Formats: sequence, C-alpha cells, structure tokens
Amino acid sequence: MVSRRGFLKSGGLALLGVGLMGGIPGFLAEAAASEKIISPYKKRKTLICIFQRGAMDGLMAVTPFNDQYLKDARPTLFMSAAKAGNSSPLIDLDGRFGLHPSMKSFEPLFREKRLGIVQGIGSPNNTRSHFDAQDYMESGTPFNKGTSSGWLNRAVGLLGHDALTPFTAVSMTSAMPRSFYGDNPSVSISNLQDFAIQMRGNPMGANMAAKSFEDLYDQTSSGLLKQTGKESFEAVKMLQKTNIKNYTPANNAVYPNSALGNSLKQIAQLIKMDVGLEVAFAESNGWDTHFNQGAENGIFARNVADLSGSITALWTDLGAYQDDVTVMTMTEFGRTVHQNGTGGTDHGRASCNFILGNDINGGLVHGDMKPLAVENLEDGRDLAVTTDFRSVFSEVADRHLNINNDHVLFPDWSGNRIGVMRG
Amino acid sequence: MKRTIKSLCCISLLILGTVSLSSFFIAYSHNSPFRWKFPYQQQGLTERQAAAHLLSRFTYGATPGEIDEVVKSGLENWFKQQMDADLPDDSLNRLLAPYDAIKLTNTQVVTEFPKNAQVLRMAISAGVVNKDSVKTDRKSYRDVLQNYMQQNGMKPEQELFRQFINQKILRAAYTNNQLQEVMTSFWFNHFNVSITKNDCAQFIPAYERDVIRPNALGKFNDILLATAKSPAMLYYLDNFTSSAANGNVPAAKKLIRAAQLQNMPSQMVDSGRRAALVNKLQKAKNTQGLNENYAREVMELHTLGVDGGYTQQDVTQAAKVLTGWTIYPIGQYGKLGKNIMDKIGADRLENRRFVRDSDFLFNANRHDKTEKVVLGKHFGPDEGYQEGVQLLSMLAHSPATAKFISRKIAVRFVSDNPPQSLINKMAKTFLDKDGDIKQVLITMVSAPEFWNASALREKTKSPFELAIGSVRSLHADIEQPYQLYNWINKMGEKMYYYQAPTGFPDKGQYWINTGALLNRMNFGLALATGRIPGVKIDLAALNNHHEPESAQAALAIYSKLIMPERKLDETIKRLTPLLTDPNLAQRVDEASSNKLYAKVGEPAEKSMTAPEKMMADNKLAAQGKRPNNVMAMQTPGNNKSMLGQVVGVIIGSPEYQRR
Repeated sequence: MVSRRGFLKSGGLALLGVGLMGGIPGFLAEAAASEKIISPYKKRKTLICIFQRGAMDGLMAVTPFNDQYLKDARPTLFMSAAKAGNSSPLIDLDGRFGLHPSMKSFEPLFREKRLGIVQGIGSPNNTRSHFDAQDYMESGTPFNKGTSSGWLNRAVGLLGHDALTPFTAVSMTSAMPRSFYGDNPSVSISNLQDFAIQMRGNPMGANMAAKSFEDLYDQTSSGLLKQTGKESFEAVKMLQKTNIKNYTPANNAVYPNSALGNSLKQIAQLIKMDVGLEVAFAESNGWDTHFNQGAENGIFARNVADLSGSITALWTDLGAYQDDVTVMTMTEFGRTVHQNGTGGTDHGRASCNFILGNDINGGLVHGDMKPLAVENLEDGRDLAVTTDFRSVFSEVADRHLNINNDHVLFPDWSGNRIGVMRG
Repeated sequence: MKRTIKSLCCISLLILGTVSLSSFFIAYSHNSPFRWKFPYQQQGLTERQAAAHLLSRFTYGATPGEIDEVVKSGLENWFKQQMDADLPDDSLNRLLAPYDAIKLTNTQVVTEFPKNAQVLRMAISAGVVNKDSVKTDRKSYRDVLQNYMQQNGMKPEQELFRQFINQKILRAAYTNNQLQEVMTSFWFNHFNVSITKNDCAQFIPAYERDVIRPNALGKFNDILLATAKSPAMLYYLDNFTSSAANGNVPAAKKLIRAAQLQNMPSQMVDSGRRAALVNKLQKAKNTQGLNENYAREVMELHTLGVDGGYTQQDVTQAAKVLTGWTIYPIGQYGKLGKNIMDKIGADRLENRRFVRDSDFLFNANRHDKTEKVVLGKHFGPDEGYQEGVQLLSMLAHSPATAKFISRKIAVRFVSDNPPQSLINKMAKTFLDKDGDIKQVLITMVSAPEFWNASALREKTKSPFELAIGSVRSLHADIEQPYQLYNWINKMGEKMYYYQAPTGFPDKGQYWINTGALLNRMNFGLALATGRIPGVKIDLAALNNHHEPESAQAALAIYSKLIMPERKLDETIKRLTPLLTDPNLAQRVDEASSNKLYAKVGEPAEKSMTAPEKMMADNKLAAQGKRPNNVMAMQTPGNNKSMLGQVVGVIIGSPEYQRR
C-alpha cells in the first residue's frame, strides 16, 4: 500500500504557514492549535545520488598510475602523476592512484577524509548495454528486469516514518528516473520555479486560479486528489518562503553553469529550506566516450571538472548542513582498459565511484583492484568488478539514512560490506 | 452503419425462425447480430449517465454533444461499432498525410534514420569528417555531419520519434475508432518497449502500427505471438541474442586461446592486434549463450503474472525453447544471422529449418535442440520454431493468464481495484472464447459491476488522457502535437520512454503527486487561455457564440459543457464566491491583457517537425492570418480572459481529473 504522507498531522508546517493569499489555511491553524509545535525536519539526513549516464571511465578518473599494463594499453590516454613540462599531472592520492587533474577541487575533500572512492565497483551482471546496466543498477536487481520499483524508492519506504513532506524524495529530472519508480511518495521536477500555479504575464490571474484550485481540491470526494492537493499547495507555500530565482549560494560557492550544477544548486536550496528532503537524485550526462575522450583536456576532462566542481560547490554551499548530507555517484559500468581506434574507450565492466560526507571512511581508495594484467581482467579486456554496487549502496543507505533492511532494498543480495562508512 | 445493423437484425429474425441456436446469439462476431444489453438501469443510471460512463471508459474523453449521439444510436450499437473499429477516418487521415516517417517499414527506417554513432562512422569512413578533429570544434563538426546526412538522404532519429509521437496524439484526439486506439495504448503498455533502449527504439513506430494496433481487439494469442516475433520486443528483452548455451564452443575456445596467447605481458606491445582479437572474442561470447530476460518477462508480465505458478526452472527451460528467435537482418541489426544465411543460401533456409516471417527470423542454428519441460509440458526435442509457438500458445491459454489479463483490463476500464466477481466472469470468457478480447470486453460491459456506482468516476486520468480529453472537450485544433507531448511529459507520462517492461502503473496513486498535480492545473490554465502554441481553441464557439453574462454564468455553462452528466453543484458553489467579486474580472483583465499579448504566440517553429510546420502554415494561409495563438476569446477589455481562466480552472479541477 502507498503510505500517505503524514506531514499534515505533525503540525510543524504551521511555522511555514505563509498563505498563498496572505492567510494561514484553516487546517494548519487547527493543527497548530491542537498539537505541540515541533519541527519535524530537524536531524533528517539527506542522501544525494548522482547518476553518471553513459558509463564513466573509472580508470581515467582515478588512475593506477604505476600500472605498466594500463600505460601500454592506452598510448594516448594514459596520464602520469609526475610533473612534465606545462602539463598538469594526476593528483597523487596515495602513491598508487591519481585523481584526474580536472578534479582538483576534490583533493582537499579527500585529504580531509570526507571523500571516499571505490575503485572496481560494478554490477555482477556483465551486460555491456547502457540500458540494461542502468536498469539493473537503478532497480537494484541485476538479474531481474521485471522489478517494478527502483532502489531509492524502496529506500524511501524504509525510512521508518511516513514521508513528512512532499519533498521527502526529489529527483531533479524532467522524468521520473528508474531509481525512483515505485509506490512510495517521490517527485521529479527539473526546476523548482515550476512549483507554482503559473499564468505567464498574469500573476493576478495565477493567484486567483491558485485560490480556486485550493478550494476545489479541498472539497473533492476523492481522497487521493484531496490529500495531494493539500500537499501541493503546502509545497508551493514552502517554496514561496524563499526567493528561489535569486538564490545566492553561501560561502562564495560557485556552481558550474551546467545541468548538474543547476540540479545540485536546487537540491542545496531544498536542504537549506528544511523542507524535509531525505533522498535526492540528479543526473550527469555525456560519459559514453567512444571517440576522442581526451586526457588532460577534452571531453572527459570537461565532464569530470563539471562533476567535481558541482559537487564541491554543493558541499561549500551547504556549510553547516554538511553533517546531514552524503553525496554518492554511480555509473552503469566502466570502460575498456585498452583505448580503441578512435581515441576513446568502449564499454567495459567496473568503474569507480565517489562518496562524500562527514561520516565517510574517506581519504581512501577502497576496493580490491588488481594490476591490469590480462589474466586479471574480466573477459580478457575489462577492469574486473571486485565490489558489487549493492554492497556500497546498502552500506551508505544504512549508515547515513539508517536503512538496514537489505532484503527489501536489494532483494537478491547477501554480500558483505567493505567499510566505506566509518564504523 | 445504423442501417446495416438494422438489416442484420431483420436477417437474424429470419434465422431465428429456422435455426434455434441460442448460443449463436450470445457469441459475438463481426457479421452476426448481438443481443447483449447493458445493465445500467438496474444500477440506477439514466441512459445519458450510462452513455457518459461508457464514453469515459472507452474513448479518450467525450466531445461536446457526443453523449447525445451515443444515446441516439443506442449504447449497445455504439459499443459494437467501436469494437468493429472500421469507421471511416478521413479527416484524421488528412492530418496524418504529411507524416511520411510513420509509414516506413523497419528496413526503410533503419536506412533513413540512422543512429548518430552510425552516421559518425559513415562520415569518418567517407572521409567527410576527420576522426581526430571530432568534437574539437563542435559547431562546425555538427554542421558537417548535418550536411553529410542531408546529402545522403538521412534524417536525425529524433525526427522519427517526433513524427511517431505526433501521430499518436492526433490519432487519439481525432480518430472515430476510439476504442481501438484506447486498446492500442493498453496493449502497448502491457507489452511495453521503450525508446530509452537504443537498440529497439527505431522499431517502435512499426511495432505499434503493425503489431499492436491490428491485434488490439483480436485474440490474445495472436498479439502475444506477434510481439514475441517483433524486432522491438526481440531487442528490448534481448531474446535476439539468446542461443543454445553450448553452440559453437570450439570456435569460441579457439578465440580465447588465441587471445590469451596474444595477451602475454611480453607481447603487450602489439596492442592493436591484441585488441582486435579480444574484440572478436567478446563478440563470440556475446553471440552465444542463453538470455532469460524475455522468457522471464513473458511469463511474469505478459501472461501468467508474477504469482502465476512458474519457477526459475521454468524460466530457464522456456528461454531454451525460444533460442534462435531473432530478427531477420536489417542494416546493422542481425548481422550474425546474415553471415550464417549468406553461407547457407536463401533458397536452402527452409531445408535447414530456418523460418522467416517479415522481420522475424527463426535461426535454427542457434536453437537449443534438447528436450525442455515448461510447467509440466514437454517441448522438443528438435522441433525448432514450432516449440516456441506451442509454448506461447500454452501460456496464452493458461487460466492464470486469463485471470491476469482480465484483471488488467478491468483495472483499465472499471477501477483501480475491480471486484473479483467481475474478474472471474471475464476470465471465464477469456478461457471459453479462446482469448477473444472483444468477448472479454463484452462480458465486462454486460456485468452489473461495470455500471455500479462504485466504479463511476473511479479512475484517475493519466496525463495523456487528461491532455487528449481536454482537447476533445474543447474541440481544440492541434497544429503542433508535440507541444501537447511536452505537457504530457511535464505531468509525468513520458510516453514511449517508460524504461521498465512493466509499463506505466495503471493506478491513480502513480499519477497523482504534488509536482504532477500542479502541472495538471497549469496545463488547464495554459490550454484554456490559449497559451499552448499550436493548440487552438474557440471557447465562444463551444457555447454557440453566446457570451455568458458573467463569470458566474460562464462557470455554470462551461462546466456543464466540459463535464456533462457530472454532479457539479459543489464545484460551482466553491468557485462562485471567487467569481462574484465585482471588480475581479476587470482586475484580471488589466493584469493580463498587455503582458499576455507580449508573450504568447512566440515562434515555436524551430521545434516543429516538417509536417507540423506545413499544417500550421497551411492553416494560417487559409485564414489569411499571421501566427497568433490568442483566439478572439481573449481580446482585452471584457470578460473573455476571465472565461479562459474559468475554463482553465475547470480543466485543472479535481472533478476533471477523474473519469
């Protein structure tokens, strides 16, 4: 059954009761009068997941720079950690792995042990189809296509309480991502400014229409429409508190002017508005680098600069909220160890991912990656998957959101965790 | 049409006199008379209310006056006509005529709308693009590629999908054979495939046109078999690649050994050769082995249902039965089959027990020839293509399937939680009548449960139903269908892009969430105030050009027009105080008029498909007008922008979200 949102019962919303037409809606006043006013959102943790669609070359993002096999396999793509001429070398993380120079904003976070990396993460299903691999990763069931729900939607169901506000689970995408499919309340929205009744060039008309709708939805005999209508107008009012359009990030944070930068900026706004956000989702595109991937510069460099720049800006912007937030990236698979004939890499198996937060076992490159000798490669060509993505996802969900029912979150999985979070 | 039915009735009386086959009359067939009567009166409905309910269930929404038409022709007659699905659609066909891509075969599609990556490869090998310069200068690179495509008669893939989607919107809005289109959507969603899966995307237009629509009111076994053999499904659920697990092992082993030899660290220098070998190895691996995806989903989602009593063992065995079911080579697709067929020679395919049916190929070389057992029934050994046909037929005729499909149909047409008694009746018909979908529908509509008060207005319109329904309610003129599609996406139904094979969930809770609901309200306002480019409405014409005296009168008149046979007292009561503020209309007008004119009618041409643009231009030329989306209704200085707003609120109201 669908769990209906319980936030109206909590009474906390009365604090936010800035009515659309200037008054506090009656039901809120009632709630405020009848119950203790407590903020229902305090101490709520937020997990932000970023899906890098197209399959990121994990070996270029976090390069085992001493690996002679990799160097041989990538005549023009391999980068060194040693400074040579004007070029920027890899950022030496631990004597073995080097971060791509375009991700330099990640370095301090790694040194402060807030940023953890898992190298060799991937799916047990060896499909090299973007569609299938994304589908499996997002449903969380790598061998079952028919799973109707996504793992993050199931996570919402396991939070241990009714969704407190319409913003419990928000995907900053125009369409609902596979990860969010399911019965638990979640919304997808590409722009928070759309969260209002709108009549272009006619704010007066919009106000009147909003009032009309609010009244109509309040009286309908359909419970579903009535309840969701209430929540919708509450959501509108919550967002009206803040000037979304002219948002100024805190601490001089500068978001890249990109789709991902925009998404994360809006997620930061939601977090700071205390609207009860617990699970957030954003996307980053363009990782399918078959042609001219580039090395120090080029497509890949731009992509990782955007990824790390957006995440770092979010982190800076969050300031005091950092303790409550964990950011985790994911990508459907990695890319071939060998570069191909067109200066790129083809579909492979394992990649790496990044996890950022104050309860991360950070400053480490986790995983069990072996030298890239052919006998260690999967199918003789790809970085082998040594860490099941479900191991990392479940550990992060458990430690950060206190979700520890793996039978529901990842029904077919019963593996071990690798300690990406601090114990 | 009516006359034919009458004369058929006369003939039936004659037959009745000579032959007494009562079962003959219960059974429905295209040419035989029918004798079912809808039991709505027993459920306390008037004929008009029943007609409204019927229209809400089997069309994309009633058009103004349609209830009268249904009452006039008789509810049962109307329903029979809809099941026959052979009403002429001349005006729709005229609208569709410019959409050339939707008429193409899969082979033509693959040639005319190549994948981006394929275009790039072709351009590189033709020397048009230097592979080293690719993407260093994005703009010039794009221009070069665009030129190259134009010169070679190729079009971007997106154009194909746009035409396909536009076509669907026009068809749903304007076809006279509404039930067929509703059932087409139903079965497409049941046998879902997705444009998000690159490999199957190009085959989707033909899938709906040739596989789904012609079978939408046929026998379940036929549509099941047709989907199983379609390129779209074969790619979407990967069966195209599934082969006997042990096929061609020696060759693969040889390749593995070769690759390993080449991969010795000391020989790493020859990386090019090594890469080529490894690639070959990978291809050999990819092209063999069992893939269970389709076998699992055909049981779980298409036929038996997840609780249909099958085991993992059954899934694996069924997958073996279906090995070798793949596509006949088309362009880059099905290359492996092409090599084998070239070797064998087209004339000898049949001797080698290959089966070709249009784009489908049964590749006997890839078929698992052992004996299999699925749900206790034995298949093979070595009966080739027929094994799969028998398997699907067994699934199609299973009692679990009858219940599963009947329930799904009842959920679509009755309520999110249909009564078990109704499902049982429908399932019985399903089994008795060889999975005849029309018979199942007749059983459903003839059951009291269908007309029960608990079913009325119980369904929540999907975003597509809301958008198309509004267009039909307002008699809107769609010139740019894609503009509606953008709204449908925004409201949460990115049609043809639903990733999972489950299809969209068919329940109100799925469609109604805060973000989606606000977008529904905004959609109503945008449509009714003429702010959806390329979707024209004439609210005055809807009321025979009688201008309502006041906003209050407008509310009463238009809510009746848009939601006939609904109890609207409460809606009207709630809205009236808002509309009786004497200064409100004027204030809304003042606030809206100037800015409104500045912002609407902005050019949307750059996002139009060629047919859309042609339609828009023709229309304007015919009217001698410049593009302008604001109809006469919204001229400033009177109540008319208020009218748009009132109608917008009606479309966005909770009552209108229900059907």
